[in-house]
Amino acid sequence: MDRLASVLATLEAEGVTHVLGIPDNTSGPLFDALLTHPAIRLVIVTREGEAFAMASGLWLGGARPLVVVQNTGFLESGDALRGTAGRMGAPIPFLVTGRGYAKMAAAGVDRSTERTRDLLVRADVDSVALLTEPTLDAWAIPWEACGTGRDPAPAIAALLSRANELDRPCALLLTTGLA
Amino acid sequence: MLSRAQLLEPLARHRTDEVVVTTMSVTRPWGRLSSHDLDFGSADSAMGHTADLALGIALARPDRRVVCLNGDGSMLMTLGTLATAVACAAENYVVIVVDNGSYEITGNQPVPGAGRLDFAALARGAGFPRAFRFDDPEEFAAAVPDLLRAPGPTLVDVRVEAGHEGPISRTAKEQARYLRPSLADWSRSFRDALAST
Repeated sequence: MDRLASVLATLEAEGVTHVLGIPDNTSGPLFDALLTHPAIRLVIVTREGEAFAMASGLWLGGARPLVVVQNTGFLESGDALRGTAGRMGAPIPFLVTGRGYAKMAAAGVDRSTERTRDLLVRADVDSVALLTEPTLDAWAIPWEACGTGRDPAPAIAALLSRANELDRPCALLLTTGLA
Repeated sequence: MLSRAQLLEPLARHRTDEVVVTTMSVTRPWGRLSSHDLDFGSADSAMGHTADLALGIALARPDRRVVCLNGDGSMLMTLGTLATAVACAAENYVVIVVDNGSYEITGNQPVPGAGRLDFAALARGAGFPRAFRFDDPEEFAAAVPDLLRAPGPTLVDVRVEAGHEGPISRTAKEQARYLRPSLADWSRSFRDALAST
């Protein structure tokens, strides 16, 4: 079974009812597959914060949603995530696909590097990758990373379980492909 | 132009088993009229995201009508939700924009475009099959049964006088039942109540 098929099988097995978000190059194959999925409803939104609020409403209605956003859109979502799923204590799992990580690695930079003005404006570094993990921490989101060489399907299964166990929104930072 | 009571009392009179989601300046007034288990006050919550939250409930429970009493300032923050609601074909979704032209909670500063905005026209542009605008109390009261029952998605822009509702808090002293517990606690009791219907 290929990676995408494993991910879809995981979502089905875990009872995910809705996937909400905006596609990027990493999540695009998943969105494509879900467009015609018979059981999981894909909801493409207009802005990522909308996905977190809608997912919170879906949870209130008894559904089991999964949010999928790029790290750029995650940064846009702060108040929606805090004020809906966070304040409600709703177990909303979400995937954050990581733009800029390859550039960061090529530039010899990691999360421990001081985020100076000179670093944030460098042309060979995408600042969103520098700010994603500190933002997850600052917003008190339990999260794990799934990087190159790791199979995303079991990591997504663990994410879904963790959100339920902790009864709060939890994230999986995905810097490897889904297909 | 309608008063707050002329907006809310016909809705409370005709409401049966609909979910009602409120925010901002109608949160307390609705809570004084209704103590239903399926009321949800999106207060102490995210700025502008009540329409999205209500749409999520509507998608989870297509068998149940979901009415969102949204502010005009709040609606402006998430206009994209209008397009999403149409894309989702959310027939059970009714969003009522309490169009008072101002950010009432903070002292009635004007919203951008106050007095010129037509939310019904915006909704029609997004593809809403049913979009209405009311500024006459009697016409609105007569239309409420149809607004609540006919398949949508439906947007209702109601011109309402600005009032003097202050900031919303969640305390045991609140008259509105849904504002007494924390948002987390009310979310769970609401979820259980909705699941039992």
